Amino acid sequence: MGRNMTISRSMVALLLISIAMVVSPAVNSLPTGVNYDQISAGGCNCHAAAPNAAVMVTLDGLPEEYNMSETYQVTISFTGGPSAEGNANLGGFNLWASGGEITPLDATVQSNGPSEVTHTEAGNDYTSWSIEWIAPSHGRDVDFVVHVNSVNGDGNAGPEDQWNKLTLKVAGSLGPGLEEADPYKVLATLIIISGILLAVTVLYGFYRTNPDAFDWEHLAPWLTEWLTSTDHKKIGTLYFVQGLFFLGIGGILAMMIRIQLAVPGNDFISQDQYNSFFTLHGTTMIFLAAMPLINGFANWMVPLQIGAPDLAMPRLNALSFWLQPFAALLIFTGVFTGEGADTGWTGYAPYIVTEGAHTGVTMWVAGQIMLVASSTLTGINFLTTMAVMRAEGMGWMQMPLFTWSILVANLMLFLSIPAFGVGLIQVYLDRTISTAFYDISAGGDPLLWSHLFWYFGHPEVYVVIVPAFGVISEVLATSARRSIFGYRSMVYAMAGIGVVAFIVYGHHMFTSGMSPSLRFVTMLTTMLVAVPTGIKIFNWLKTMHGGSLVYRTHTLWALGFLVTFTLGGISGMFFPSIAMDTHLHETYFVVAHFHYVLVGGTVFGFFSAIYYWYPKMTGRMLDERLGTLHFLTAFVTYNGIFWPMHRLGVVGMARRHHTYFITTDDFTNLPEWAADWNLFISVSAFLFFFSNFIMVANMLISLVRGEKAPADPWGGWSFEWMTSSPPPTPSFDWHNPPVLKDANEHIAHEPGRLGQWFNRLMVPEDHEEVSH
Amino acid sequence: MSLITPLYDSLWNEYLVWSLLVALFTFGWLYHHSFFYRSEDGENPNVDDLEVGVFPVHYDDLKLELAWTIAPFMLIVYLTYISWAPLDNIWSSPNGGSFGDECDYFNNESSDLYFDDDDGLKGAYKANCYHTIEITAKQWVWSFDCGTLEAELCESGFTEADGRAVPHLSLQAGNAYLAYMTSEDVTHAPWFVSLGVKEDVLPGQTTTVWILAEDVEDFLLLCTEYCGDDHAYMMAGVTIHS
Repeated sequence: MGRNMTISRSMVALLLISIAMVVSPAVNSLPTGVNYDQISAGGCNCHAAAPNAAVMVTLDGLPEEYNMSETYQVTISFTGGPSAEGNANLGGFNLWASGGEITPLDATVQSNGPSEVTHTEAGNDYTSWSIEWIAPSHGRDVDFVVHVNSVNGDGNAGPEDQWNKLTLKVAGSLGPGLEEADPYKVLATLIIISGILLAVTVLYGFYRTNPDAFDWEHLAPWLTEWLTSTDHKKIGTLYFVQGLFFLGIGGILAMMIRIQLAVPGNDFISQDQYNSFFTLHGTTMIFLAAMPLINGFANWMVPLQIGAPDLAMPRLNALSFWLQPFAALLIFTGVFTGEGADTGWTGYAPYIVTEGAHTGVTMWVAGQIMLVASSTLTGINFLTTMAVMRAEGMGWMQMPLFTWSILVANLMLFLSIPAFGVGLIQVYLDRTISTAFYDISAGGDPLLWSHLFWYFGHPEVYVVIVPAFGVISEVLATSARRSIFGYRSMVYAMAGIGVVAFIVYGHHMFTSGMSPSLRFVTMLTTMLVAVPTGIKIFNWLKTMHGGSLVYRTHTLWALGFLVTFTLGGISGMFFPSIAMDTHLHETYFVVAHFHYVLVGGTVFGFFSAIYYWYPKMTGRMLDERLGTLHFLTAFVTYNGIFWPMHRLGVVGMARRHHTYFITTDDFTNLPEWAADWNLFISVSAFLFFFSNFIMVANMLISLVRGEKAPADPWGGWSFEWMTSSPPPTPSFDWHNPPVLKDANEHIAHEPGRLGQWFNRLMVPEDHEEVSH
Repeated sequence: MSLITPLYDSLWNEYLVWSLLVALFTFGWLYHHSFFYRSEDGENPNVDDLEVGVFPVHYDDLKLELAWTIAPFMLIVYLTYISWAPLDNIWSSPNGGSFGDECDYFNNESSDLYFDDDDGLKGAYKANCYHTIEITAKQWVWSFDCGTLEAELCESGFTEADGRAVPHLSLQAGNAYLAYMTSEDVTHAPWFVSLGVKEDVLPGQTTTVWILAEDVEDFLLLCTEYCGDDHAYMMAGVTIHS
């Protein structure tokens, strides 16, 4: 009894499934016409699984080679198949062309877009249909694809029906068009080309060292020397080369983003590719370009400036560097498999642990864990070096300001990056072994990641800007032939920024679900950042007062830095005001702001550093005319990119969007001029990108035939100008180590105001000891 | 130049004025010094006798340094003070705050939203009572739930924007709405562009945002917390009718 019931139930279910299978395709295709997108891959498989040669398709009226913009009358017809005179329906078709315009001539045909037509319900009763094709004006070859089905007229699409497909190429006078390239392939190709160019440059560098010994026997030890060196100067150069290389890669990513955004609704990059491009752009620029550039100069200059033979832990230093290229490989792995990380550099949870995120995210996270290790080791190394290896006579308050800035930056990094590391490891475990740190259904908290990330992320942006402060302090003082105004307040301001950095990160989360009282507190603390930053800017301006400003390329970049960084600082004051932040958050106003401080601040600062210290590092002077040309072109085009973005953000352009929407009759969004400005920005971006090659060319040309640099070409005071250019190894004569004298000798050992006040409170037991 | 709504406009304008003043002061100073203190051709005086290996003479002035510590500090204290005002509106309590309590529909209570220029520092929105709606987000579509509100007050459906079907929310001008929001998958954030507000929508949590529909307008609602492939297409049409 029960068994019979089961069988009959199964029979009913099977019957239902069979009916559903017969009915459902019919609903999709007949009689309303066929869509090319649906059939281009599998054909008309709702009629039969495979095309059938019994159906003969012809396409009449097309020329061998078309004349541009001419109109042709085309007839699609077929014979054969189950279709027969007297049937209720005879057949249907879909015609698609890769170019030109196809228009129906009568009611049997309907348009499916500018270059696609299909039959209408009335058209089902015919075996031939007529259309008009207006040839395109580009003169390239055009492909036609026609699908035709011959039906038995029972009103249902089924395997009894037959279909066939015909493809036809109509030649254009200009031959085949260019094939559309996959943006990932474009990017991967550009990265490989950049890598080859770098390798060629390195080989050429080796060739120039000794043209007579250009063979493997000499190259192998030379390469081994570079790859295994623990010398701070060599590692500094490696960092520097890596930083410049990835500045170029990040630039290429930015250019592809700008091509996509040049016009609204562009389809140069698909949305998932766009997402991974901006993710990689951010990650590359911050971790693989800015940080290595800074570390390059820090490695080179900090030991020289404090008169130390090397960093305290040279092998650890080599490890810090060599983690970086391998981390970069991991971060970029996704690009070469077509699945680059697509989470934004912030990698917000829970998206980062969902299935929707690209598989490349796992490698991207793994790469960043290595960068965390690298940065931690660097932090330990520099702090130790500065603490114990300063030359005789150099107290904390006699360290050059660039060294101070590296100290503050590394202290911040050292204290903040563990939080990021913890978050990354949690995400990594979530993605690989299915732990549930960010699985919401298992009680994970999406805000945990935001807190961990921004606790690191905000100090991180100061980590990349504070060393630029150090550079500008050195460059402006030397160029103005003055000692820096308010050395002590400069140090306290940097330290102040370092402290405030840790209590402001909540301003990235004003629109999150974070507690309003916490948001309110961070609004107050964020405003405070303006105070130490203001002190620095005014001190720099006052340094120029009464000076004698010598205009060199590095001076120009330093003055340019003052302009752009101040603008970035001012626009930054709009965000802590929560009422305005709820509008400006995640818009192009934010993009404009942080590019003003990160490009106009960090990058301009380090361009200045390149022109300032390049003679010291290579022993060759850079060409001043090329340098000035670089400054003028880059400064103007840079402002052309980022200045209009402020307005775009205010009127409603959101960041991390692969397209934008111009106001239509129905809904207001961006005004029409927004499209013009985006095109302007894209053009400026390309000009800025290429203008930086002037600097690269300048460096390469000068390396070969630049003027020989003296030990102190600009008249600076710190120890790096004491050794020859380039410095020998060891940098200083250790039988006669450098000793810092102090022009303030008469007051150097006197207590400061605070000390005097303390002294008044104290009753010294032994007067002799206190006076020392 | 105005931003979006009266709540932000006065703040924006005041910030803009202070920005211009600070920029004029700083750039004026920079411009003057860049030219006035440049070295003449061939002349290269070592003003402070910089010498390699010698820490240069101190060049400072405590009074000046204190001046440009205290002046910016006073400015930011002032800017923070004026930024307080709109917070009462943005984070108003749903129980008897700026917008009263939820409207009592049995007594035909109406919301009567208006902007009071005289309230507080920069003016504030006031309402008699407010309506409640629900917003649910998932990749990559918004859904609006008007609950039991009449179609005149709130209606959700679909419309076409930029050639694609998008969700549509229709509200009535002159009403305050409190939206309770949650997400089914990842973090999203609706940006009511013409109203200048956004708030994150998080899975497993409920966040709220005040929608103060004052003027008659049609605008796009965009997603402003990155949520995956079709993030840019995750939009909705918002119509505020009279």
